[in-house]
Amino acid sequence: MSADVTLRGLPLRAEGITAGYGGDPVIRGITVSADPGQVVSLVGPNGSGKSTLLKSLVGIVRVSSGTVTVGGRQVTNMAPEEIARAGVGYVPQVDDVFGPLTVRENLEMGGYLLPRGEVPGRIDKVLTVFPRLAGMVGRSAGKLSGGERKMLAMGRVLMLDPGLFLLDEPTANLAPAIAVALLEEHVRGLAASGAAVLIVEQRAKAVLAISDRTYVLGGGEVRMEGTPAELSVSPEFVESFLGGRARPVGSAEG
Amino acid sequence: MSLFIAAIGFGLVTASVLAIASVGFTLQFGVTDVLNLAYGAIMILGAFLAYLVNGHGISVWLGMLVAIAACSVVSVLLNGVIYTPFQRRGASPITMVIVSLGMTLIIEFGVEAVAGGVPVSYTMGNGPTFSAGSFSLTGVQLVIIAIAVIVMLGVHALLRYTKLGKAMRATAANRTLARNCGIRTGRVIAATWAITGALCGLAGTVFAIDAGSFDATSTDVFLVLILAAVFLGGPGKPYGAMLGALVIGLATEVSAVFIPADYKYVIAFVALLVMLGVRPTGLLGEAL
Amino acid sequence: MNSFYMINLLVYAAVDAMACLGLNQQFGVAGVTNFGFIVFQAAGGYAAAILAMPPESANGGFQSYIGGWNLPFPLPWIGAAVAGGLIALPFVFLFGRRLRGDFAAVALLATAVLLNLLVTNYRPFLNGDAGLSLIPTPLRGQNMFSAEPLSYQWGFTAGTILLAVGVFAFLRRLTESPYGRSLRAMRDNDVVADSLGKNLLSMRAAMLVTGGAVAGLSGGILVTYITTWSPAAWGYAETVVLFAAVIIGGAGNQWGAVLGAVLVPVGFEEVTRYIPTSNNLPPNLIPSLEWVAIGVLIIGFLWFRPQGVLPERKRVIRVAGAVAAPAGDRTAGWRGWAKPRVVSPETRRVEGDGQQQNADGATARPAPQPDAGGGERARGDSGNSGSAEPAGAVVLEAVGLSREFGGVHAVHEVSFSVRQGTLTGLIGPNGAGKSTLLAMLAGTLPVSAGNVVYLGDDVTSLAAFRRARMGLVRTFQLASEFKRLTVMENLVSSVQRNRGDSFFGAMGGRRYWGTDEAAAVQRASALLERFGLTDYANSYAGDLSGGQRRLVEIMRALMAEPRMLLLDEPMAGVHPRLARRIGNQLVALCAEGMTILMVEHELAIMDEFCDPVVVMAEGAVLAEGTMQQLRGRQEVVEAYLVG
Repeated sequence: MSADVTLRGLPLRAEGITAGYGGDPVIRGITVSADPGQVVSLVGPNGSGKSTLLKSLVGIVRVSSGTVTVGGRQVTNMAPEEIARAGVGYVPQVDDVFGPLTVRENLEMGGYLLPRGEVPGRIDKVLTVFPRLAGMVGRSAGKLSGGERKMLAMGRVLMLDPGLFLLDEPTANLAPAIAVALLEEHVRGLAASGAAVLIVEQRAKAVLAISDRTYVLGGGEVRMEGTPAELSVSPEFVESFLGGRARPVGSAEG
Repeated sequence: MSLFIAAIGFGLVTASVLAIASVGFTLQFGVTDVLNLAYGAIMILGAFLAYLVNGHGISVWLGMLVAIAACSVVSVLLNGVIYTPFQRRGASPITMVIVSLGMTLIIEFGVEAVAGGVPVSYTMGNGPTFSAGSFSLTGVQLVIIAIAVIVMLGVHALLRYTKLGKAMRATAANRTLARNCGIRTGRVIAATWAITGALCGLAGTVFAIDAGSFDATSTDVFLVLILAAVFLGGPGKPYGAMLGALVIGLATEVSAVFIPADYKYVIAFVALLVMLGVRPTGLLGEAL
Repeated sequence: MNSFYMINLLVYAAVDAMACLGLNQQFGVAGVTNFGFIVFQAAGGYAAAILAMPPESANGGFQSYIGGWNLPFPLPWIGAAVAGGLIALPFVFLFGRRLRGDFAAVALLATAVLLNLLVTNYRPFLNGDAGLSLIPTPLRGQNMFSAEPLSYQWGFTAGTILLAVGVFAFLRRLTESPYGRSLRAMRDNDVVADSLGKNLLSMRAAMLVTGGAVAGLSGGILVTYITTWSPAAWGYAETVVLFAAVIIGGAGNQWGAVLGAVLVPVGFEEVTRYIPTSNNLPPNLIPSLEWVAIGVLIIGFLWFRPQGVLPERKRVIRVAGAVAAPAGDRTAGWRGWAKPRVVSPETRRVEGDGQQQNADGATARPAPQPDAGGGERARGDSGNSGSAEPAGAVVLEAVGLSREFGGVHAVHEVSFSVRQGTLTGLIGPNGAGKSTLLAMLAGTLPVSAGNVVYLGDDVTSLAAFRRARMGLVRTFQLASEFKRLTVMENLVSSVQRNRGDSFFGAMGGRRYWGTDEAAAVQRASALLERFGLTDYANSYAGDLSGGQRRLVEIMRALMAEPRMLLLDEPMAGVHPRLARRIGNQLVALCAEGMTILMVEHELAIMDEFCDPVVVMAEGAVLAEGTMQQLRGRQEVVEAYLVG
């Protein structure tokens, strides 16, 4: 992101989150946080609850106990549109664009809350970040390739300059080289501009490289947390990632 | 041949009424995923409200405005008070169909209870007749076609160029993502029902004008024509509905040239069943 | 009370009850929502008419219709039932395709409207919109100028009621049978019923024809009572009335259908008799308000009491007394195939204290120890260490399996084998192809290339339910129990061979299928005992907790007497303690000779219970071994960390 776009970073505090889709909870007692200027990552095998956690932070999944605060403001179980208005930008893992709408219209929807005059200028800025989209503003989003869709999904959320980004596997189905580029240039760049970023990823190695802090999830709980430096030398990291009986670093018995 | 040309003329009129109705119906489905089978009943409600106004010596065209306003309100209430609560409870699509049939009974026979079972007509002239060869339409019929064209252009402009219209399309495509963009989808949906309800009232009045005489059950068969047009174009796709209306409207009238007029609707029924059986997503490819 | 009034009331009640019973059978029991239902009754009515009436010319030719063969009673009524059943056949086509529920309903509604329109307009067929009149009454011929004597009318009424009772008994026998249970399972979850081997199309066709015949009969009786019949009597709104009756009375309950018939069609008729008429009110006001009231009732009941006045009864199956596996006997459920093979002790772990807690806290019997099989077990297993010696013959083999979706290879030339008596794990990061591979092995997904070999036979082209019959059974990831069947019914419904599980088998009655049923119940009871859910045997499966439902899923798979289980994430979303318990059960099953291949994400489970574990990544097999071994291998760690 170009340096002259100023973002008001919003710190995220999620404490003791227990949530599910009705019936048994999928995640239990999860506590994570992210500060402005930081990239915080969530890694862990499938089924560990990473996506569910993000969905519970943006009001899509009901939080049965625990609190979520963004920028000091309590947003637990608020409607998704109100959370978006509070300055939270969320990119889901699937169904991440409006298929029948054109690229430009998708971006316009991203800028729905902006004053009308600002929208074209903001679109131009986003298109400089993703030049490849500039050539296809009139194409309907359903016809884009996988990588282009991901770019559009990111571009859509950039429109509002949110202070907190919640990204759910933005590199899924992307070729490794592109994935790394997306993470290093764009995701890291978001934090560099002052936003707080919470990113869920399967590519643990790649995302660790750009993270300030990482949580390892497993079985619906936080198994470990630490800085990439700490984790990469910890034998328990690999263990807990691959399901071993590791004790979470510095927290209560799990 | 001349019959054929004349039939095309009538076909355009039918298509016009059908287009106004079908676009409203399909937009309702697109944004809420409910097949509002009470649509026909609300249409006839509008027709009778216009009749009421007309009965006081006021022009039916002004009565039409009353119909538009009233049906708009009724539709918003129908979605808000009946359909949405059931959907929130997780009602299955079948349950929603039965609910909408229940509403059809309430509205249609509520109208009949008040208005009586005897067919009525508007007090209005037909205007001058315009002919071009075998092509012959009355002034009123031309007005109907003109209204339809204006409405289609208006819907197009709404969906393509206004913020609300794009929000409607976004909500229909992916409601959760729309909410993530900060769109208050509840309000967008209510606005959609208000607009489509207005179309419904307009369609009902125009239908009654074209039909000549009508009673509370007149739209029962017409609803199937609407469904045929909607499914031909693909449920939820407004441009598909416009195309479907044109095809069905022309096909039914033109077929009356070749087969006994009593059976002219058979084509529409067959089209509906074929579409549902073969290609429920409609003839057109991807959405607008 | 006036005799004629009573007769009229009773005949209409009986006819409406019949029609509602037919609709209830389709909609309430089998989940076939047929908005064209009224057409069946109409077909029956017309058939009875044209069979009973003399030729067109006989009455001066003022009516024009086909038929007119002047057949004596009871042929017109039989013809009515047959016509109702026959006209159901084209409707089967509409149900054959996988069409969204509400779209299918619209199609049927349109069909009914279309047929009504055609009959109304095509005069030579059935006299158009004027309908038919002067239909002869049974056994008397036609006599329009004098009313039939009272004794005749009472006889007619008694006959009608008798027929209604007969229909009730017939449908009851059909429904309270293993076949009826399969119908209800299809209603609750047709995809799962399909995978259990139930023939959905044949069941739906049977229900359409049966309901159609019943409706046709009711139409025939009605027609010969009122001696007239016209299209106005069977608009689409009449179908809505019948649906209202069934919903209000209680869908899925036969007495509910009868009650609904009494409350709605009959009830409304009667109530309006007592409303004072006034010349100031328009003549159509009361009938119109009746319709409005029906609409209000439909919506009111669907909101406040969707189960109706008489909800569907729970079918309680008495669980056979204390089911204790006698010492030396294998735990009930296995008919005995290959003897359990030698198993390396260190790869098997059972809860230390041997006492297991139930999901709800009550203590259950001790978990069966690996050698509970009495004398069958253990010849010299003490010397085994590690996984140097294979645990048995190959049960299932994947040979070069591939599956592609539009050019992308989800699974690419995967080959491996699963050995008897092992609890084999299948793991891999997201998108590795595990679920796709499992689906190909189970037969729920066709292969693009390669073979699946089961017990030496190539089963690649066999459908899933056929593989299930051979003993290769899979479970599903998402909730797949039949919610409105009890746990016991869920288990018993998955049995492959039950004589009562067909239309004609059901007609045979309990005498015919009782033995098979008792055997299935006993097996199910034993499983419930083993998994500690005996107390829930007669609870609705939909009322259980998520973890308990997982157990039901596994038990249901076991009911099919599998030799090999394919488990798709059985512990997903389950509390860790319960997951461990499930793991122990699976281990115990393997010790008794079962073979299991399990896809799971929770790698701690793999660690504790599975040996060997197969790792997949990007559609191919990466490595195989115990979790400890795999964790030490660089490429496995990479695959997970790189994702």
